[in-house]
Amino acid sequence: MRTRQAAVAALALAAFSCLPASAVAAPGHDRAPVKQWIDIDLDGTNGYSIHVSVNPRRHLILQVTKEEFSAEYMTRDVLADTDRVKAKLRGLGAISVRFHPRGPVRHPSLPGCSKKRPRLQPGVVRGTIRFVAEREYTQVSVSEAEAAIEEPASWFCRYGVKFEPNPRERDWVSKFSARGEGVYLLARKYRPGAVDGGQVLYWAETGEAFEAASGRAPLTIYRHVRVPAHVSTFRDAHPEHLTVSPPPPFTGTGALTRTPESVFRWRGDLSVQFPGLDSIPLTGPSFESDYCLREVGCFRQSVDHH
Amino acid sequence: MRQGDAIARSWLLWSAVAGCLAACLVASPTSAAPPEGRFEVQPADTSGLLRLGKQKGYRIALYMPNDRVVIFYALRSARSEGGLYSLTYSVYAVRNRGDLERGVVRARFGSLGSVSLRFRPSGRIRTHEPQPGCEGSSETTEYGRFLGHLDFRGKGDYFHVSSAKGEASIARFPRLRCERGEALESEPRSLRKNVAPRPLFRDDDSIALLYSSTRRHGRYAGITAMHPEGSPPGADVELGVVEPRRGMAIGHGVYLEGSRGTLLTSLPGAHPATATLAPPAPFYGEGVYSEQSGAWTGTLGVRLAGLNLPLTGPGFHVHLCVASPLRDRDGCDFFQAEPPSFERLGRPGWALR
Repeated sequence: MRTRQAAVAALALAAFSCLPASAVAAPGHDRAPVKQWIDIDLDGTNGYSIHVSVNPRRHLILQVTKEEFSAEYMTRDVLADTDRVKAKLRGLGAISVRFHPRGPVRHPSLPGCSKKRPRLQPGVVRGTIRFVAEREYTQVSVSEAEAAIEEPASWFCRYGVKFEPNPRERDWVSKFSARGEGVYLLARKYRPGAVDGGQVLYWAETGEAFEAASGRAPLTIYRHVRVPAHVSTFRDAHPEHLTVSPPPPFTGTGALTRTPESVFRWRGDLSVQFPGLDSIPLTGPSFESDYCLREVGCFRQSVDHH
Repeated sequence: MRQGDAIARSWLLWSAVAGCLAACLVASPTSAAPPEGRFEVQPADTSGLLRLGKQKGYRIALYMPNDRVVIFYALRSARSEGGLYSLTYSVYAVRNRGDLERGVVRARFGSLGSVSLRFRPSGRIRTHEPQPGCEGSSETTEYGRFLGHLDFRGKGDYFHVSSAKGEASIARFPRLRCERGEALESEPRSLRKNVAPRPLFRDDDSIALLYSSTRRHGRYAGITAMHPEGSPPGADVELGVVEPRRGMAIGHGVYLEGSRGTLLTSLPGAHPATATLAPPAPFYGEGVYSEQSGAWTGTLGVRLAGLNLPLTGPGFHVHLCVASPLRDRDGCDFFQAEPPSFERLGRPGWALR
């Protein structure tokens, strides 16, 4: 049984990266945490890049990216060995590989990490890597791939992850968000020239967790899209009435309007299309909406549970 | 907190809403100007309670907040199928001609009835230490029953209580020496203050608020409807009615969470502004306000215990506040002059812009 739960996905992500090993380890899997990451780089079909990483708590994250789209498939590596990986991606494939070092150990410098340099052992993994994304929007099947084992100096100074947030993206002037079950929309408007590609940035996220009898999700999928757009797609001159019509992969328009009840209704035909999924509606009475003006404040319209 | 709340609280706690009301009734530490220096005195006081059971859905009690006042209380709380709360009450306050300190309550409620009671303790006593910051003897609550005559008929015979049967208690609060600001405020001795309505719902986060009040032939009636920012469709509604009688003060009130359609207003910036108020039972009909004519018209009224009261007409003063949650953080889109009544239900502190 599948349930769509953005919160679940976010929590899972947090759990995967933050909780102590004992908090998430299954009975019988108690073991001392190792400090190594295994990173595997792959090329998927249709222009998608695929990156597999296994963190020190033996959580496996398969990340698919292409342009403004990314998806993360998260599960557990069932082996305790630091040089082997074995995991099932519930209906989407399986990974069973062993790492073979190749070449000398490196200590690359990382911007913003001062003298903290990770220990990086390059090499290859051999075995089976098979992944077919939903509706085959991308896939990969290899028996060998380039890989590395990394011992990072800290959680934030990791060579295998390219995470470079643009600090200017925090300088929005107004923003709107709508949160439904398992889906989240965020639109931020900026001053001209503050961000590349337009004056508005749109994000949409959706999460999916597969339920298991044990209570732990054997696979969690988290999808994300981020697109810049022209300022005309975000009309909020009057804070009582807001309209957004973001570009593809979004379609349609969403409008936030105040009713005579002084309730802010979020309605329209706005939806988002993620690869491999049906179009997901982003409006409706089940969405909680927030609107903020940086210099003034925010208001939130809750859902009517009555 | 007031001294009589020890007893009042125990009676009011049978419903969460009543408990909330009690929380609203309590006041901050004494507002009376404390003497210069580090200490102040919390005067001695006595309060009493007699629970009289239930009639027509109302919990009924005789409450003596101090030795000078006797109040006949009728209070009904309910929750609708949609989970919305409502609370309705009627209170009648008169002077106690007996001596509560000695367990004697004697009072006349005009044509509605009279009581002549003497407290008989059961022997059960509970004591409470003085509140933090105060020194003195312990407060004692003595339990038992009242014996004697009790007869009360609500207006139109809505209630008829002819027996003093029921749990009773008398609490004695000794004189305390308190650090400045720690003494509790005494229960009011004014009959009127004992029946005056007090706000239950917060209005400082409302983005639509309608307040209508009138004062005619000594009777004050005020109704407030407000929609808090971000809340689902509907509005919180408060009604307070106060009327003096010879030697008696009568208060009626309603607090309820109204569902969708309770309060509809024009949007901020729209002129002439309009509003329609149609709260659920015990209200009936709807009231319509127009900024253009300044008129408050319609069929809106309320049915309370023995009382059918129209709530529209030319004698009403109306405020309508429609605020934008971002543009008018501290004020309304427009706000008419306040009515010349000191008995506003603690209404909005929104700045006139």
